[in-house]
Amino acid sequence: MLMKAAIRQAAHATVQLARTVGLAFFSLIFVTVLIIAAVGTIALVGAALLPETVLLIRRLAGAKRRMVSGWTGREIPEAYLPITGPLRERLRTSVRDTCTYADLRWMGLHYGYGLFGLAAVPLWLLGLPLDGLWCGLLRQRALVLPLITRLADLDARWSTALLDPPPKARLAERVTVLTETRANAVAAHGVELRRIERDLHDGAQAQLVSLSMRIGLARRAYERDPEAGRKLLDEAQDQAQQALAQLRHVVRGIHPPILTDRGLLGAVRALAASSGLDVAFEVEGFSPDSPRAPAAVEAAAYFVVAESLTNAAKYSGSDHAELTLARTAKGLRVVVRDEGRGGAVDPAGRIAEAAASGAPAAGAAQQAGAERIGGSGLVGMRRRVAALDGSFKVSSPLGGPTVIEVELPCVW
Amino acid sequence: MRVVIAEDNALLREGLVLLLTSAGHEVVATASAEPEILPALLEHRPDVAVLDVRMPPGFRDEGLRAALAAREQMPELPVLVLSQYVEQSYAAELLGGGATGVGYLLKDRIGRVDEFLDALERVASGGTALDPEVVTELMTRRRGTPVDTLTAREREVLQLMAEGHDNTTIAKTLVITERSVSKHIGNVFLKLSLPPTDTGHRRVLAVLAYLNRT
Repeated sequence: MLMKAAIRQAAHATVQLARTVGLAFFSLIFVTVLIIAAVGTIALVGAALLPETVLLIRRLAGAKRRMVSGWTGREIPEAYLPITGPLRERLRTSVRDTCTYADLRWMGLHYGYGLFGLAAVPLWLLGLPLDGLWCGLLRQRALVLPLITRLADLDARWSTALLDPPPKARLAERVTVLTETRANAVAAHGVELRRIERDLHDGAQAQLVSLSMRIGLARRAYERDPEAGRKLLDEAQDQAQQALAQLRHVVRGIHPPILTDRGLLGAVRALAASSGLDVAFEVEGFSPDSPRAPAAVEAAAYFVVAESLTNAAKYSGSDHAELTLARTAKGLRVVVRDEGRGGAVDPAGRIAEAAASGAPAAGAAQQAGAERIGGSGLVGMRRRVAALDGSFKVSSPLGGPTVIEVELPCVW
Repeated sequence: MRVVIAEDNALLREGLVLLLTSAGHEVVATASAEPEILPALLEHRPDVAVLDVRMPPGFRDEGLRAALAAREQMPELPVLVLSQYVEQSYAAELLGGGATGVGYLLKDRIGRVDEFLDALERVASGGTALDPEVVTELMTRRRGTPVDTLTAREREVLQLMAEGHDNTTIAKTLVITERSVSKHIGNVFLKLSLPPTDTGHRRVLAVLAYLNRT
């Protein structure tokens, strides 16, 4: 039994080592190609080759990262600068990417220590008879074969240390991500401002113009025909009320007043109480003196809860809902779940089953795709969440349940 | 009537004073910030208090809290709470415990002077004045409840009843006879399986409790 286990373990490690050796050989060939490419670049002949070569280095290092994390079970992060744009731009990022230099250093050293893997062959030859005797006859623990595992461990440890991106590269990657999300947020903010401007322009502003006109007409009519003047004044008052209602609507859309009055928990509690549903409301991680989330985050969370509960009350066919509001280390999590009939359907009749991400990485194409899956309420929620760099997931298979899960990042 | 007004916006405050004075009421005190409200109410013991929800220093729901605090000390004090927006949960808080003499209206309604004064008198005499928007929201937010089985006319009657109007006003508003109003109300109570109550405030509370429950 002991022998069998030792052999199995050693075989497993040997596969790992064999791949290591293979990769080491490959990198030898590769380094040669790299040198040629570098020389070519200097000669302005193979300039276009350099970014491609860097991408290959990344794939190679990526393969090793996956291999090592498969062995250790610990993820090794990547922190590359994206190579995009015109050739000049691609060349510049290729030369400036510190993570790639770290990969190169790994590649050079790996060519050396990767070949240690070859030691597995003599260890097998020695280990099989020796350990066969040792633990087969004397019932002792295997001695030689476990060394192969040690070898694989050693390779993993060194590779982890070498492939871990340098702090500078991590920072650079973070900056890239933040720049992108910030640009998205600014764009979303612009869209929001235009929406508010349009709402005010088409709504309250137009109504006030018409109101002023009616009062003017009433003044003219007052002398000649008091009854007509009275009628015009009545209409003017109606219009004033409509303008006020419109303004209230716009204000609610920007920042619900009850959030200011009662804070997020109070406001959400009020929503749950007035939803007409039996809502089980759970709060995690909040204490009475927890700091408040940024106004935009609170408003988005409130918006998501309000929309989800409205949808649940209108369409789910169930009169129960579960609502969770959690304060996590990274931000705010909102989960709304109903045990209804599911199949949240968009105007086009498709069912929302895919968990489309509102994350900034989602490009324009995915954004357009997401638009098609969600209903008008879902689209609004998704936009609002995406504007804050949050993630939005909806699952609503036919037969239910419908679960809407939103994470809004913020610093507490 | 002797009235105390709490409103921080000077323009609105003066407007309210003017409106109430011209209607023959007496404004005995005004408050422009939350700390002034309770002392003014305790000192003057008015027939009715008109309070704005959002007041300095916090600009949150100070007026509402002051109204609730005042009613704890003077349970009979009629209060009319005004706000730029209505929130169902605030209405529920104000009406909690079967309180009499409570009003909760959008500020927009002041523009309809006659209706506003009517609501004020109703509150002062122990009645209810609930903004139509609150009632509409209560009635429409849910499908598949017995409210759906009401006829259009019965819904109109229920809406006006929940706002706090008496049979005479309902009859006048809908241009029908008081007898048919009574008939519609009877039908509404039957369809919602509410126990028949006498007219007035208790009836309003029964209806609101029903709408809140479903």
